[in-house]
Amino acid sequence: MAHVVGPEVVKYACTCGLLKSISSLYFCRYCCQLRCGFCVCHEVDSHFCGKCCENLPSSEARLKKNRCGNCYICPSCQQELSTRIGSKGPSNPEDPKSTPKKMYYLSCLYCRWSSRDVGIPDQSAATGGWPDRENVNANRLQEIIEMYKAMVLAEKQQKEKDKKKQRGKYLSYTDRTGVTAAALRKRIGLPVDIQHSLLKAKPKEPEPAIAKEDVEDLPEELLTKPVNLTEVTTIEQRLLQIDLQPTTVEKLFPVHKQLSIKRSLRCRSCEHNVSKPEYNPNSVKFKIQLFAYYHVPEIRIVTVEPLRAGRPSELIIKFTNPTQHQTTITILSLVLSGDENEVKEETGDQPSLPQEKQPPSLSSQPSSLLSLSSRQPSITIKPRPVSQEVNADVAIPSSKVILPPRDDAAEYDDSGDTHNIQDDPKLVVWRKSNKAFVKLLVTPKQGLALNTEIVAGFTMQHIYTNTIATTVENREPDKHDHNIRVFLTLGNLVGFD
Amino acid sequence: MSRNSIKILQGALVCEESKLRGDITIGTGTIIHPSATILAEAGPIIIGDCCLIEEQVKIIHRLPFDQQDKENTPVLIIGSHNVFEVDCHVEAPKIGNYNVFESKSFVGNKVTVTNGCIIGAGCKVTQEQILKENVIIYGHDCHMREGLDRPGLQTLQMETLSKMLPNYHHIRKPNKKN
Ligand SMILES: [Zn+2]
Ligand SMILES: [Zn+2]
Ligand SMILES: [Zn+2]
Ligand SMILES: [Zn+2]
Repeated sequence: MAHVVGPEVVKYACTCGLLKSISSLYFCRYCCQLRCGFCVCHEVDSHFCGKCCENLPSSEARLKKNRCGNCYICPSCQQELSTRIGSKGPSNPEDPKSTPKKMYYLSCLYCRWSSRDVGIPDQSAATGGWPDRENVNANRLQEIIEMYKAMVLAEKQQKEKDKKKQRGKYLSYTDRTGVTAAALRKRIGLPVDIQHSLLKAKPKEPEPAIAKEDVEDLPEELLTKPVNLTEVTTIEQRLLQIDLQPTTVEKLFPVHKQLSIKRSLRCRSCEHNVSKPEYNPNSVKFKIQLFAYYHVPEIRIVTVEPLRAGRPSELIIKFTNPTQHQTTITILSLVLSGDENEVKEETGDQPSLPQEKQPPSLSSQPSSLLSLSSRQPSITIKPRPVSQEVNADVAIPSSKVILPPRDDAAEYDDSGDTHNIQDDPKLVVWRKSNKAFVKLLVTPKQGLALNTEIVAGFTMQHIYTNTIATTVENREPDKHDHNIRVFLTLGNLVGFD
Repeated sequence: MSRNSIKILQGALVCEESKLRGDITIGTGTIIHPSATILAEAGPIIIGDCCLIEEQVKIIHRLPFDQQDKENTPVLIIGSHNVFEVDCHVEAPKIGNYNVFESKSFVGNKVTVTNGCIIGAGCKVTQEQILKENVIIYGHDCHMREGLDRPGLQTLQMETLSKMLPNYHHIRKPNKKN
């Protein structure tokens, strides 16, 4: 969707302080906060193969090294290989009437590489049975992996031991009596260093690699003969087969296709999902999709007058209300550091302080929010200050803009708008259904050099209507004032004429 | 140059809506779709047998600027069994047999194409060179690799086309006995 809202000239400050376009932001309905890809938890939902759409449980995926067992990609260009029917020689060469035997080979439709190029014999079954090459270092790798596994285990046991020891310290009387545990053990005839029995099972270390001094000489022909680049593999091709790293093209072999994942994103403050895809690999839909694009008014720049230092320029921006509820937009001045958003975020993690969480102009008590935040937050996010510099002042209008709810049918309705909204004609220049064009005055700061990129910012306050299940006594949907800091890249400064 | 002299051999299928300019000879079994453009600007073009020239294809016989003053008129000879896919643009001065020019590829007028070459979709080849046999150019960065064999023939596709095209398009009559 990025190309629909691009170019990225309008950026929203995420709760964490990063600036993002609206298409890459999420909106947690439970915290009423913006979230971006950097301040949500990414969780792997399922592994699947993008070619055959097979779903694999994560344990099986790990066993197969996150690769599909049946699908291959081209070692030459990394596109998917397709199985093709090759020669149809008779299954019995002596009997010409016998049914023709189909042979299959792998072929890339993109760069025309085929398994025949490197001499892999054709297979009689379409589903594969393609030979997997053994890694020459497989044994050594296995040895090292086993050693590390054993080390992890030993470390774990040691930790448990230490824990036990610590606990024992408070229970034993040896401190008081002055008799150490070891001495006591000796006295009753037990081996002294029993706690080291685990350390004795030290993992067997594989033979260390030995550095060699004599290396192969540089082949003379590299300097004398012209290089035939069609025979040499590229870096990408070598790194695709990391275990073999073939240097010439005749050593390229089909590679198992890497699995893809479906992932869900979870708000780090309240652990609710902001995005959860459907399980089926064939489906591109979501079970949960709390994208900011569907909850937060979208701002687009319509026109801007030439920007001159110290002179006000007229800026027209368009607000679009994506929700099913009417909203009111108030433009406030930008607070860059130590602002209310940060305070709110920090206190937002403590449900015991509802007054602090509540924005000053809240229209109704967010009692539902309190009941919902029963889950303990996993991580407290420390918001960072926004690093974007602003070099233009925005004249803050005194009046507000009302945006009617989104109505998909309104686009086909020529009868005109039925909304009876008294607009400030100085602020709202045009409106239609859920959109409004708003005029602002922007003044670039004095003393800026020509061609400086002008960035203006303001805080957009909109009323967000929360529709998540409300409690019995509070049937009215919750309405919140939600502040978002918005940064507009308006273009470069021009000179006076 | 203004005179059109189109020679169509028996068995060739040339749609009337194709744009043919100059001295062009079209071999047996060759199929030229409507809206294909063949311009013989610098000299005659001879197209061999069983070539497939699809829609929006531009085959232009045009000399590089530094060779335009020469006395003798060069002839662009295109071999047999070449496939020109949709919207490819070929200006090569010499084309052998069994080549495939994939969709939206471009071959400049300093590139000699031998036999069995594949110019991948969207690839642009302009540097002066002679493409070796069975060379495959593919991908965004125009990687080059050598194929084992020449590309397969489009026999089935051409059979279907030779049945279908006359039903929906006006066909130029062959005007030359082979
Ligand atoms: Zn963020
Ligand atoms: Zn697969
Ligand atoms: Zn390939
Ligand atoms: Zn949340």
